[in-house]
Amino acid sequence: MNFLQPAMLYALPLIALPVIIHLINQRRFRTIEWGAMMFLLAANRMSRGYARIRQWLILAARTLAIAGLLLAVSRPLSSGWMSLAAGGRADTTFILLDRSPSMQQRGPGGRSKLDSGREQLMQSLGLLRSNRWVLIDSANNRPIEIESPDVLANMIEAEGVSASADLPGLLQTVYDYVRENRPSRSEVWICSDVRQHDWDADSGRWQVLRDSFLELPQTVRFHLLAYPDIVPENRRLRVTSVRRVESTDGAELLVSLRIGQQTPVDGTVAIPVQLEVDGARSEIPVEMTGTEAELLNHAIPLDGQQTRGWGRVSIPADSNPADDEFYFVYDQPAARKTIVVTDDPAAVRPLELAAGISPDASVAAIVETLAPDELVGVDWSDVSLVLWQSALPTDDAAALVDGLVNRGGQIVFFPPDTPTDAQFAGLSWGSWRDVDGEHPVRSWVGDQDVLANAASGASLPVGQLQVMRVCDLVGEQTALATLSDGAPLLARALTDQQNVYFCTTTPTVGESSLARDGVVLYVMIQRALTSGAESLGNTRQLIAGAVRADSTGDWQRLSGSGEALSTTYGVQSGVYQQGERLFAVNRSTEEDRPTVLADEQVAGLFGDLEFDRIDERAGSGNRLLEEIWRLFLMLMMAALFLEACLCIPRLTAAARESASRTSPSSPPFASSVSSSGGPADAEGAAA
Amino acid sequence: MLTDGRSRSFLDPQVLSRLAAVPLFARRPMVGNVSGVHASPHRGASVEFAEYRKYVPGDDLRRLDWRAYGRSDRFYIKEFEADTNLRCCLILDTSGSMKFGSGDVTKIEYARRLAGSLAYLAVQQGDAVGLTGVAETIVRTVPPRRTPSHLTGLFDMLEQSQPQGDTQLVSRLHELAETIRQRALIVILSDLFVEPAALQEAFEHLRFRKHDVVAFHLLDPLETGFTFQRPMRFLDMEGGASIFAEPNEIYDRYQKALSGYLAEMTRIVKAAAIDYHRVSIDEDYEKVLLRFLSARTRSGGLR
Repeated sequence: MNFLQPAMLYALPLIALPVIIHLINQRRFRTIEWGAMMFLLAANRMSRGYARIRQWLILAARTLAIAGLLLAVSRPLSSGWMSLAAGGRADTTFILLDRSPSMQQRGPGGRSKLDSGREQLMQSLGLLRSNRWVLIDSANNRPIEIESPDVLANMIEAEGVSASADLPGLLQTVYDYVRENRPSRSEVWICSDVRQHDWDADSGRWQVLRDSFLELPQTVRFHLLAYPDIVPENRRLRVTSVRRVESTDGAELLVSLRIGQQTPVDGTVAIPVQLEVDGARSEIPVEMTGTEAELLNHAIPLDGQQTRGWGRVSIPADSNPADDEFYFVYDQPAARKTIVVTDDPAAVRPLELAAGISPDASVAAIVETLAPDELVGVDWSDVSLVLWQSALPTDDAAALVDGLVNRGGQIVFFPPDTPTDAQFAGLSWGSWRDVDGEHPVRSWVGDQDVLANAASGASLPVGQLQVMRVCDLVGEQTALATLSDGAPLLARALTDQQNVYFCTTTPTVGESSLARDGVVLYVMIQRALTSGAESLGNTRQLIAGAVRADSTGDWQRLSGSGEALSTTYGVQSGVYQQGERLFAVNRSTEEDRPTVLADEQVAGLFGDLEFDRIDERAGSGNRLLEEIWRLFLMLMMAALFLEACLCIPRLTAAARESASRTSPSSPPFASSVSSSGGPADAEGAAA
Repeated sequence: MLTDGRSRSFLDPQVLSRLAAVPLFARRPMVGNVSGVHASPHRGASVEFAEYRKYVPGDDLRRLDWRAYGRSDRFYIKEFEADTNLRCCLILDTSGSMKFGSGDVTKIEYARRLAGSLAYLAVQQGDAVGLTGVAETIVRTVPPRRTPSHLTGLFDMLEQSQPQGDTQLVSRLHELAETIRQRALIVILSDLFVEPAALQEAFEHLRFRKHDVVAFHLLDPLETGFTFQRPMRFLDMEGGASIFAEPNEIYDRYQKALSGYLAEMTRIVKAAAIDYHRVSIDEDYEKVLLRFLSARTRSGGLR
């Protein structure tokens, strides 16, 4: 329990006052000569149980009354967060808001987790004192100083978005702020639904954060307002593919979508799915059995001249409206053009084959092999992928490659026979060396990027690759596949677009089995090619939060939330237009996996840091912090009432005694004329 | 009537003059040695006809009813009721507890007033009055006499009686029941702080000896109210151990013990047919005596 006036607690020893008065009273006894000792002796022989208990109860009631009064004037706060602040003033209070789509799950009363949490924080933190209030929301991940928690009600930065949260990133921002501004004592209040995807509990960043916060000289305490409950009946909709195909009647759009929920439905349920393509709406029923419903290649006729456009799919709103709609854009697929840069055309034949075979027969795949000095004359505007097996580009060549990278094109570097000192994206080639072992690949990133698992969930056979020689890579990178000696086999440079890859071996026989076991090479190149082609097309499917906020300034909204500002288009689902280009922004796939971290996991993430949590439910009316002085006043009144009740018999007897003094004939002397045995005595008694 | 002319603190002439208008009657026939106002178990020479009985040789011929002889040709003796005086024995408790008094008057002083007034009234109507002071033993005894000059000695004894020592009232009552030869009016003035059951036996003993027993039970208002506010150390006035008590804590139990005692006392006086008067010593003793005398006046005596 915390107090707004903790200084008043120094007066708590006053609760001993009744006891002290009792003891003093005991010592101030009087002596009297007494005749009716027989009654005193009889009284002493009687059971003293109730009388003794009554005295103790009266003493306890008086003590409680004083304690209640003192606690009431100390202005106590009710809270499950017992360690909160201890009544002191925090220098800086951080409010970390998880604005992810899952936080928009509604509870009783139609209030979302985010709304409930925001209101809880406003009501509760309003009672605390802090010199500075800092809001860090999951969409922007930058500290915003606010006047007081009350302004959360009207802040656009406290509204729900479609982008996932990155809790380690938010805490990193807190750490950076604390380190730079050096507040004396900080309180960090986290409002989140503790989803695995948002918290990224497996990330190594948590260990770094724990160590960093522990090393800080200042006190930083963490409080988690968690909304971990899940509505299993909540349905989520996702468009899995959109293709425009030519048909005999012109063109049609083939839309595939998937609807899922946590618990299976009873029997078969028809879910009305609303489709909106370029403003024209239609509705189709999708039958759902079990936990999932899938609609494959539902054909929507298009005007033959219509080559690009956008659409929106939605299902009836349920507990979480954020996952009940999905936006898409479509266009004629662009040609998948690859440039292979090499000094030795014969050595890159496997690369040409891997890039030249298109997975979609309707889309042409073009591969052009060039020497490094022939790059100037190439039209780079339609290039999706560059496979570079030569010395790293410098000067003009580097400028050309930079242009490609900046507009979203992909590039994969393979080591040349003779590495140079040239650098690109902060990386350079070292020297060649031999690798021991038949299958030296130890690990690889299977959940994302070019080596991600297949749609069926099966992993790529990266571990079966044989790597005989690798070229060391110098510089900071993100390893996507790692050899048994810790060296990277495939790495990604630390660029904004995350589209520069380095493969430390070549498909050449004698150096690796990339060409012989071509699945990994083919998938890797085709995925890079697909990403590169998407950047070239006029339409792009984007994941909310993956777009840089400063790049959405000239976007125009075609569909989506009307409350979104242009600066938040990148984190709000919808369809946006930038010149001739169309962008569909949607929540990430991980948002559809309602995996909640266990309590122990969350506690483990904070380790030795001062951390406490309280679980709430969306729509809950309970306040986290509340002044409860009224409770103590009532306690005091109850104690006084109890004391009065216990004293009443004593007062009544005294009153009776007083009355007996004023009336001589009243008891016990009313029967002072008693009877005798004879008839005359009976008469006397009657008189 | 006050032959020595000394004023006594426990006698108020005005009260005595007012009470003198009410005669003191016994509830039972008394055996006196002179004529008086009380009924006697024997036949006598009063004007109140009692009965006829057959003449037997030796009867006084003056008491023959000649008219009855004329009507029935048989000899009958006409008998009349006898009136006699009574012997009033005042038993004054002089134990230590009688010294107690929370107000202006102590129990012993109150008892003196009652005893002095009753003695005066009895002698005034020709009855014999005696006084016995009892504590652990019979402290002092003045045998019953009916002469006014006898009152001087009795009042002196009343004046000199000092409360002290333990109470052995029950034993002394048994002793007195055996030593008072003729039936008498026995007036007990005490706080009766003894076990009611034992007291009942003493009362029944007195009744068995055909005495008319009156008990004035003297209680102080503080003893019944127990209105103490702070812790008290109670010193036994009869020499027992002292008791330290928190009045608030002990009040209920004290009242329970007192109520039980008083209820038991009421029961035993009814069972023993005792003329019992529970008196709070803050009450005017004139009213107490007037109530006592008037109740006996209404009963009118018994033959």
